[in-house]
Amino acid sequence: MDLILQLLFTGIGIGAVYALVALGFVLIFRATNVVNFAQGEFSMVAAYLMVVFAVDLGWPYWLSFLIALAGMALLGVIFNLGVYYPLRHRTYLPVIIATIGASILLANSVLAIYGPQPQVLQGWFETPGIQLGPVYLDSQYLLIIGVTILLVFFNFWFFEKTLLGKKLQATSQDKEMASLLGISVSTMIMITFIYSAVLGGLAGILVAPVLFVSIQMGSTIALKAFAATIIGGFGDVAGAIIGGLALGVIETFGAAYISVPYKDGFAFLVLVAFLIFRPQGIFGERVAEKA
Amino acid sequence: MKLTRRDFAAGIVAGIAAPHIITSARAQGATIKIGMCAPVTGPAAESGGYAVKGAKLALEAVNKAGGILGKQGELIVEDDQTTNPGIVLAFSKLAAQSDIVGFLGSIRSTQVHAMAPDVLKLGKPVMIGGTDPNLTHMGNKWLFRFRPNDSYSGRVIAEYGVSTLGKKKWAVLHSTDAFGTAGGKALTEALTKLGAPPVLDQGYANQSQDFTPVVLAIKQSGADILGSYFTFENDLGIFARQLRQLGVNIPWVGSPSIVNITALKLAGPALHNTYGVADYAEQSSEASKAFGKAYRDAVKVAPDNQSSWTYDAVTVLSAGINKAGSTEPEKVREAILSIKKFPGAEGEYNFDQNGDGLHGYNIVKNDKGNIVFDKHIEFND
Repeated sequence: MDLILQLLFTGIGIGAVYALVALGFVLIFRATNVVNFAQGEFSMVAAYLMVVFAVDLGWPYWLSFLIALAGMALLGVIFNLGVYYPLRHRTYLPVIIATIGASILLANSVLAIYGPQPQVLQGWFETPGIQLGPVYLDSQYLLIIGVTILLVFFNFWFFEKTLLGKKLQATSQDKEMASLLGISVSTMIMITFIYSAVLGGLAGILVAPVLFVSIQMGSTIALKAFAATIIGGFGDVAGAIIGGLALGVIETFGAAYISVPYKDGFAFLVLVAFLIFRPQGIFGERVAEKA
Repeated sequence: MKLTRRDFAAGIVAGIAAPHIITSARAQGATIKIGMCAPVTGPAAESGGYAVKGAKLALEAVNKAGGILGKQGELIVEDDQTTNPGIVLAFSKLAAQSDIVGFLGSIRSTQVHAMAPDVLKLGKPVMIGGTDPNLTHMGNKWLFRFRPNDSYSGRVIAEYGVSTLGKKKWAVLHSTDAFGTAGGKALTEALTKLGAPPVLDQGYANQSQDFTPVVLAIKQSGADILGSYFTFENDLGIFARQLRQLGVNIPWVGSPSIVNITALKLAGPALHNTYGVADYAEQSSEASKAFGKAYRDAVKVAPDNQSSWTYDAVTVLSAGINKAGSTEPEKVREAILSIKKFPGAEGEYNFDQNGDGLHGYNIVKNDKGNIVFDKHIEFND
């Protein structure tokens, strides 16, 4: 039982990271109908910004955090204007290719500026974790889980209870109709990119003390997060969260009880199974039903 | 001017011979070129930078001492991207330059395996740092190893843990790539011979983000000592932290990555009081100390095996060419194989007919972040 609880905690912790990045995927997909393959790089860039401000410049952690998130918001604006906006009237394919290009550009820019060395970023708390009976709770994973839960509520409130959230929803559902109702579609898409970049950045900053800060950290997480969005149902916010958590738990238990070397294999096995038997994911609707 | 048949024939001959003459002239150019495949990008880019610095430092010393066959040595570096396809591409680019007389391959066995068929095809000496014992035992006579192979590291880890630390219940943890698999196998065999077969033999995939299942398996196995073969420092850092967080504090003797600079920086106190087999230990010999000082002066960071093996590789290759008096591959090969009692940064080189230059390891301890030399264990069989 102790073993199961420990694995469950770790699985949810790592799954929460996938969920945060997956959320970014989903929001952009809903708003633009394209997958942003640079979402993982948003996490990596934010983690490096934290290293610059909190480690190299020695600024207070909370201040560095706020500046890093502000930097991510700016990156969201630049990304929207530079990658999505010029191609907004084209089909989804050029936009997807542009996001892949942007992902390579971001990774190599950071490599050129900061070098290939992995960096250490301290967590929020002095205490690395707490022992709760037989289970060790890593303080950083606790924080990640807490932030994910908060974001679930925040997203619900934001998208269902605020005017801006409803405008964003309307834009994602039908751009033409939203435009006819006086909603500025381009502004809504801009806000979506900003929010997704901040979310991706938040995931990167939170996970950096656990996985270290490296150029590859974004792509490693993004691959799993992408799988999580498909499992949860592409385009569904709740699905991204559930998909991410499920993926984290499945791979952790799969590693513990079946095979450690094939840990990543379990995640993608589940992905393949969903693509075959339930391509719309857990919460997704069939295209026919949607219409 | 009238073109005679003789002029025409001479022209044809000159046309056919010209490229060969030009190539030959280039080969006999101003410098002697050594090609190097190194991870300039990818997960091992940091340690790749150290490797290039070690090689350059050696070449500077060689050039100061008169160079290679009276000419200055020149290093041509190609990025292997820390991947197998990357090193195959990098080596093919270098191999296409016919004036390169010898090469440095990878410290990663899996990459050396990937490039080995092309090395055999090219037929020129390639210095390697990969420690999978098979590399020098698979009929490829052009591979020369500048680190002790894993049959030695496995035996040294086992010998030290069983005889010096007195531990018999081993957990063996290794990556599932060529390096980790071969290392884990060598350690398991050595332990079995010493009458202490491991209670847990656990593999893991590179670039894992979480080692909780592995740590719990070690805990459940009841092991009283851990032996490990990690390929990447990121993995080592994450594992070390989780191992300590989950309360596993058994003695730990690891492969060389456990004492390299990046791992020490990432894992911090989680690696304190661990032991490692180190092919390079600064205090182990006069040559090691001399390299350490030169490297610190030039690069301003502490030396480790990433730079010491390339330093030795360039030094020995240059010495081999000078000894052969020629860049002809077969003569250089014979000259390298005849090198005995050559003092290198990694240890004393005595090449056997397989191309293995070193036959023992140092044991070092992480004493609060400082790597302290403990003892050297050498094998003669």
